[in-house]
Amino acid sequence: MNILIVEDHPELAQEIVDYLSKNGYLCKWAKDCETALEELSVNSFDAMLLDLGLPDGSGFDVLKGIRKKQSDIAVVIITARGELDDRINGLQLGADDYLTKPFALTELGARLQAIIRRMHGFAANVLDIHGFKLQLQDYKVSFNENPIALTKKEFDIFRYLALNKNRVITRLQLTEHIWGDILEINSDSNFIDVHVRNLRKKLDKFATLEWFETVRNVGYRINL
Amino acid sequence: MKPLETLATESTCKMKIKHQLSIFNALTRLLIIVVLWFVLPMLIQNVVYKHINKSLLEKKQKFIQHLDKEEINDYIVGNDSSDTYASYSMLHNSFLQLSRLPENQVMKKTAFVNEPRIIEDETNEYRILQYAFVYEDSKYLLEIGSSLNEIKDLTFIIKAFIIILFGVVIILTFIVDTFYIEYLLKPFYKIINTKIRNANDPDSFDYTPVASHTADFEELDTVLNQMMKRIGEVFKNEKQFIANVSHELMTPISLLKNRLENLLQNESLDDNAVDKIAASLRTLDMLKKIINNLLLISKIENNQYAANEKVAVADVIRDLIIDLEDRFEEKNITLFNKASTDFEFTANQTLIHILLYNLIVNAIKYNHIGGSIAILDGIEDRNYFIEISDSGIGMNENQLLHIFERFSRISTDQDGQGLGLAIVHTIANFHNIIILVTSKAETGTTFKLLFPSELK
Repeated sequence: MNILIVEDHPELAQEIVDYLSKNGYLCKWAKDCETALEELSVNSFDAMLLDLGLPDGSGFDVLKGIRKKQSDIAVVIITARGELDDRINGLQLGADDYLTKPFALTELGARLQAIIRRMHGFAANVLDIHGFKLQLQDYKVSFNENPIALTKKEFDIFRYLALNKNRVITRLQLTEHIWGDILEINSDSNFIDVHVRNLRKKLDKFATLEWFETVRNVGYRINL
Repeated sequence: MKPLETLATESTCKMKIKHQLSIFNALTRLLIIVVLWFVLPMLIQNVVYKHINKSLLEKKQKFIQHLDKEEINDYIVGNDSSDTYASYSMLHNSFLQLSRLPENQVMKKTAFVNEPRIIEDETNEYRILQYAFVYEDSKYLLEIGSSLNEIKDLTFIIKAFIIILFGVVIILTFIVDTFYIEYLLKPFYKIINTKIRNANDPDSFDYTPVASHTADFEELDTVLNQMMKRIGEVFKNEKQFIANVSHELMTPISLLKNRLENLLQNESLDDNAVDKIAASLRTLDMLKKIINNLLLISKIENNQYAANEKVAVADVIRDLIIDLEDRFEEKNITLFNKASTDFEFTANQTLIHILLYNLIVNAIKYNHIGGSIAILDGIEDRNYFIEISDSGIGMNENQLLHIFERFSRISTDQDGQGLGLAIVHTIANFHNIIILVTSKAETGTTFKLLFPSELK
């Protein structure tokens, strides 16, 4: 899951990056509007944390910039306490949620997760995929109360495919969202297949996986 | 004069302008002294001789004026039976001598000669006026002499005086010169140290004028500022260009990517169409990454990255190995990571990460299935180094020459667009890291990174 953090205070940004990285997100930090817009055009992000007061303009400009491009990125704006107009303005411009400074990192994590899941049409924090329960907040998968031990990468792949249910997700997309922004050109992405194979093997012990499709030469799809 | 010799023989050890000027000034003064040393005695002699000649002539005039036969006889006969009369002063510094010349001897009427004479057993050098005259059919020679000893002493004193005086003058002026030249050149060194040496990019350039009493340096400073402003413009344009490229190229690429990805969701597509779309997506991804890579190189070369973080190299490697675990497994590669030196240096974390990532990924990519990779580090000549060796396909000498060039692939059947090592090279340059590559075809390649020593 790629997150762009647009925040001009390096210490706060670093704190957020550290926290979110620990929670399985791939983070990029942009310190101003210019860098943010450049990052947004170069990489594909799942969510963005946007501080409104930036050295070279307002976060609103970034928001307008991305919404023009019909991008489906989830946006959480960060505002100072009491700036009601800003919050309303932000939400009207297409932000999905807001946080007032100072905020607890755990709250930030929870909100981010909720937004991402809502964006993909899931109401609860536990995704039910044909009897497999994915607990988004604590990285656990179980089937009929039986816990399944998955590696971090396996969980990430499962989560990403589950969130993007009924869509063919290419190997490249998976690499991009789970391994991050790999500069390597033509990385053959075969290593993805290894992880998916292992994941399927682990899940296969509990139920049939006809809903977990391999799309030949392209990627994978979870049908729900 | 040793510095000048070294200047002539060792062109690598050049002197500073202040020293050159001081030495040049001192040398010219020395030359003047040497010339004076030789010319002055002659001049003094000339002047002194003229003066002596004059006084000798005056004495002769006085003597001749009152001269009559009786007196001559008095002088010559009255003295003793010889034909010579001589008188000399008490300290022998002058004498007068009158003698009768033989009839047949022909002499020049007036002549000046320098001759040693013995007076009362004492030899002295004299300047002598010889005056031959005829008086009542007899030829006489009048000689009036003036001692040259004093003159010689005087010349010696003058010479010694000159030497001491000029010696003092040379030393004094040399010191004054050195200080004055240094004072004059101060703005010059200030320009070099504060402006040029530390100016890595025009943004951090100090445009405040350097105070100077010299028009030349003021001009140099102004011209430098103007030049830097122009370079700054170019830099700004290039940054703008890079931003434009990334924006203008990436936006349509992501648009296409989204469209193709959405197209893939269409259930009615046949396998052939799906394959084609997937291939297009791969091409698009390659295009995106090439642009990203080129942008990265441009940005590094444009100093758009700051090297101001403390980076622990061994930690970066440890993280990378965890990230790349699956890649090692995929090719069944055994990894020996012996990097454990506690070394931190000021750099850009992201870039160092990319540098090491590219090297390790290369070691995987160009390795045989079941091969091995060894990473070790240490301190060599007070510099930290890290070595990444693989048991891969290696390179021949010709390939080695071109590995850091953009778009030069080691082998054509391997994937990758040959930008990975170009990036490695650019990042290493940016951080003053030296890369040494040794490779043997079919045996493996070793990349050795020599880090700059951290003095801070």
